[in-house]
Amino acid sequence: MSSSLGRIGAIARTTFIELARLRVFYVLILFALVLIISSSFIARISFQQELQVTRDIALGAINFFLSMLAIVATAQLLPRDLEDRVIYSVLAKPVRRFEYMMGKFFGVLGLLTISLIAMSVLCLAVIHLREGSAVRETMQQMTQSPPEELERALTGLHQAGVNQDLAFALLLTLMKAAVLASATLCISSFATSNIFTISAMAMVYLVGHLETIARDYWLHQHSAGWLIRAFLALVLLFFPDLQAFNLSDQIIAGASLSSLALTKLLGLGAVYIVGYLVIAIAIFTQREL
Amino acid sequence: MTEPAIRVSDVTKIFPTPFRRRRIVALQHLNLEIAPGEIYGLLGPNGSGKSTTLKIILGLIQPTRGSVRVFGRDNSTVAVRRDIGFLPENAYFHKFLTGTETLRFHARLSGLGSRESKSRIAELLETVGLTRAADARLSTYSKGMLQRIGLAQALIHRPKILVLDEPTAAVDPAGSRDIQNLIASSKKTGTTILLSSHLLTQVQEVCDRIGILHRGKLIREGRLEDLLAIENQTEFIVENTTPEFLDQLERQIASVNGRVVLRRKPQTSLEQLFLKVTETRDE
Ligand SMILES: Nc1ncnc2c1ncn2[C@@H]1O[C@H](COP(=O)(O)OP(=O)(O)OP(=O)(O)O)[C@@H](O)[C@H]1O
Ligand SMILES: [Mg+2]
Repeated sequence: MSSSLGRIGAIARTTFIELARLRVFYVLILFALVLIISSSFIARISFQQELQVTRDIALGAINFFLSMLAIVATAQLLPRDLEDRVIYSVLAKPVRRFEYMMGKFFGVLGLLTISLIAMSVLCLAVIHLREGSAVRETMQQMTQSPPEELERALTGLHQAGVNQDLAFALLLTLMKAAVLASATLCISSFATSNIFTISAMAMVYLVGHLETIARDYWLHQHSAGWLIRAFLALVLLFFPDLQAFNLSDQIIAGASLSSLALTKLLGLGAVYIVGYLVIAIAIFTQREL
Repeated sequence: MTEPAIRVSDVTKIFPTPFRRRRIVALQHLNLEIAPGEIYGLLGPNGSGKSTTLKIILGLIQPTRGSVRVFGRDNSTVAVRRDIGFLPENAYFHKFLTGTETLRFHARLSGLGSRESKSRIAELLETVGLTRAADARLSTYSKGMLQRIGLAQALIHRPKILVLDEPTAAVDPAGSRDIQNLIASSKKTGTTILLSSHLLTQVQEVCDRIGILHRGKLIREGRLEDLLAIENQTEFIVENTTPEFLDQLERQIASVNGRVVLRRKPQTSLEQLFLKVTETRDE
């Protein structure tokens, strides 16, 4: 048991080092550029809106970059190992195939976590600075206003600034990336090239973001029969509802997320991850090397 | 008789080929038995099924029919692989790791503790002659250096069985001499070795027993001396005699109805020459 964990740890560590040395972190520089450039072009309508837009862009950028990183980094793990025949020397050691897959997954998860932390620190710093200056300027402008109004303005700013909801949104972004990584691992367990894996994942990504809209449309516009319901359920089974993890819209609107809702979403993500990993391991165990 | 180190029983391997009607029969009713401490050489032309055999023994691919036992245990259990070190053909490893990191990784996979693996890694780097390149990334290694790191990786957990797929491919003559010496010294510690090769002279030097695969069938097998001995001939190489004595010897041979097939000055081989002139290149 403990030696099994040791082997998974060794594979995860090596996977992480490999990915880090492939310079995937360079993507993060691109992220910083997007964040800084876009935030300096925001029209000043009100301080609160400015803060909200900055936050929206930052969360959106983190979301996008982390998802891309999850797909691209995971898609090439198995093909590389197969092509370089690394897999022979690894699996010829007392390593079970499930340990190999778990190691790969945790290696990617490590990479995603570190990337998220780096991006979050940057984005929190930007938002925090803007919030501070917005609060100062609001207080200056509103010295004449009644105290309730000032109070309301400051609450508005705080809701759009650094707070618990933002932390929740970041956590869910990581969960979504982890779901994508496990789905990618699942597809690459039978794919013969990483082009196939990435194309398939692009589809999962799209469907995952659109299916909520499609479902609402079908269920409300048409009196959905069981056939359509079954079809939608089937789609949901294979394509995770990625849109559910995008909280930025609700959070920008100032609606707080209850910790129950958060727990539910994290639970949903965990179910998808476990499901994908089980399928991935089952396929990979049968695969001829 | 004691339990063989490796027993391959009636293994057939058929590769399905999608989009094509003909299946590839890589191995047919293969039987092999390798005794503990023996060095066995698997020979055969390209595509005869050598690598397939070795991969089946390691459990990397499943036989279509038949079974493999290692020290009497089914080879699909993980514990079996604690006893085996494997060098895949054209060994390649994570390009972004250094030599030391690669060995540390494989040590962890084999369940070695960190203190134990540290000394073992230093020792093995020395053995395969990579001490100087230990901290360079594998992407900068030459083919022969990769082969050496592959060998070190196979030896890391002191396995009782070594399975080597073309261990001397891409290695220079001095390197393949080192590898042969390594094989010979592993034999002294009782390690069982199964290797595949095309290099017949090397196989001849190190192996106790060989098998020849052809189109997935074992067409010849046996002890090297038995297979190669020409029963009615004898060879001797003599030193410090006179030509007159040799002439006399030849006449005596003729008098008993024998025949001298060949009389010549023995030549050094190109390999010997190469080794001699490049001997000092490392120091
Ligand atoms: N994964 C595979 N799928 C289909 N056919 C395969 C596969 N692996 C090997 N083969 C076929 O099995 C046969 C034996 O291959 P194998 O690699 O064992 O040969 P080999 O004796 O090691 O040759 P070489 O000396 O070139 O290394 C070949 O005809 C090869 O085409
Ligand atoms: Mg081969």
